[in-house]
Amino acid sequence: MASPPDAVLTVLLYSSLAALVAAAGVLPFAVRAQVPMRWLGCAYALASGFMLGAAYILMAEGLRSMATLPTILGAGLGVGYTFWMHSYSGTGEIETLPDEAVGAIEGYKLILLSALHSASEGVAIGVGMAVSLRLGIFLALALAVHNIAEAMGLTAALRLRRVSLKESAGLCIISDVPMVMMAIVAYAIVAAAPFLLPWVLGLSAGALMYLVLTELLPASYHQAGSGRVAVLVSLSAGGIVMAEGLLGMLVR
Amino acid sequence: MTPVLLVFFYGAITALATGLGALPFLFVRQVSYRMVAFANASAAGLMLGASFGLILEGTGHGATQTLIGGAAGVLFISIAHHFLHDLDVGFGKLRGAGARQIVLIIAVMTVHSFSEGVAVGVAFGGGQRLAALITIAIAVHNIPEGLAISAVMRPKGSSVLSCALWSVFSSLPQPLMAVPAFLFVEAFRPVLPYGLGFAAGAMVFMVFLELLPEAYEKASRPAVGLIVSLTLGLMILFQRYI
Repeated sequence: MASPPDAVLTVLLYSSLAALVAAAGVLPFAVRAQVPMRWLGCAYALASGFMLGAAYILMAEGLRSMATLPTILGAGLGVGYTFWMHSYSGTGEIETLPDEAVGAIEGYKLILLSALHSASEGVAIGVGMAVSLRLGIFLALALAVHNIAEAMGLTAALRLRRVSLKESAGLCIISDVPMVMMAIVAYAIVAAAPFLLPWVLGLSAGALMYLVLTELLPASYHQAGSGRVAVLVSLSAGGIVMAEGLLGMLVR
Repeated sequence: MTPVLLVFFYGAITALATGLGALPFLFVRQVSYRMVAFANASAAGLMLGASFGLILEGTGHGATQTLIGGAAGVLFISIAHHFLHDLDVGFGKLRGAGARQIVLIIAVMTVHSFSEGVAVGVAFGGGQRLAALITIAIAVHNIPEGLAISAVMRPKGSSVLSCALWSVFSSLPQPLMAVPAFLFVEAFRPVLPYGLGFAAGAMVFMVFLELLPEAYEKASRPAVGLIVSLTLGLMILFQRYI
């Protein structure tokens, strides 16, 4: 771990990068008026795999240190927190890849959901940085790619409501700002109280998994069909776990 | 008892334990659509939890081999799925998609028992002292696997007895594989990570191809999310502490 000010700056830098990259999600819409829903479903399937791979890595990291119970209880807290957050913001059953233009309230809820979702990703990046610089940067990059796919989904919904490309790009970035904040908070908490590490590892893994199960996968199945989704999720999740393993061999 | 017979005997106990997974269904009478969805979600969580343990153990033996095995597992299920799709599959009185799903889950769980059997045998080769402990561990962790099979079969109209028997059947490769693995530990040890990866890949793919889509069809998203998370967490706890 680098000395504290450097480390916080590193967390800030990489989580900001992951948030800014989301703007790339509007690019397909600059070329085509509307991207086919099936493509968006496939993009969500890839995003699900990335997130599940990240959740596996975080969970395995917690269990490796033999802190089984705190890791599992932390995961339970992550699932519980996300469930609670969904139900109190009224976003638990929202269709994340709507087929038709949604009303204004639902449009706002989609942006809110995206913001709440990115907060949990931020915890994952922050706790990853606390484990090692390598893991933190890896997770930030993986979630950056994942954010592009999610931004494509959000942009599709915004475009149906005739929001301009520029504004869509701005909203995609803004909805990822909680990620930057929570990355720094999570890193600071674990750095100050290292005994919380397995708890926060579990919490982020549980939250990411629950987000995949409730937000990404249902929409993905709906738009792309179970065969395509199964292939893309397995390949991208396996790919992420493999890439992290390879990185671990190359960089100490 | 000779060591070989002992290993077979222990392997057989683990197989019989799988049948216990059908027991909870003795107490569930009404099988509603929602229950089918909940049962699918539970099976999905149990299988994801089992895969988590398999991958964790497999990567301990060899990460690359585990991943190659995993890819082969995914390929195996997708080929089996295509093959069964074109065939008019019947399972007892059941035909069509439901029968296909049952055949697929029994196939997946049976194939995954081969690598578990190898794991038992290799572990026995490591030292007699651990033998009973490992047997109890595998036997107990087979119970939720029987539960996963029964959770798919029972809502589709299979009897509790047939759920129990097919659950035991799916674990039969364990005693059969444990013996050669015990006798030729050195030959089997390198194969183990491939087998563990294969089993995990096959299970994960089955979950995303069949179990989750069906669960989402008939239950709300939060319900599916909570059930999968809960059963997954319990499965991991189970494997870590028993």
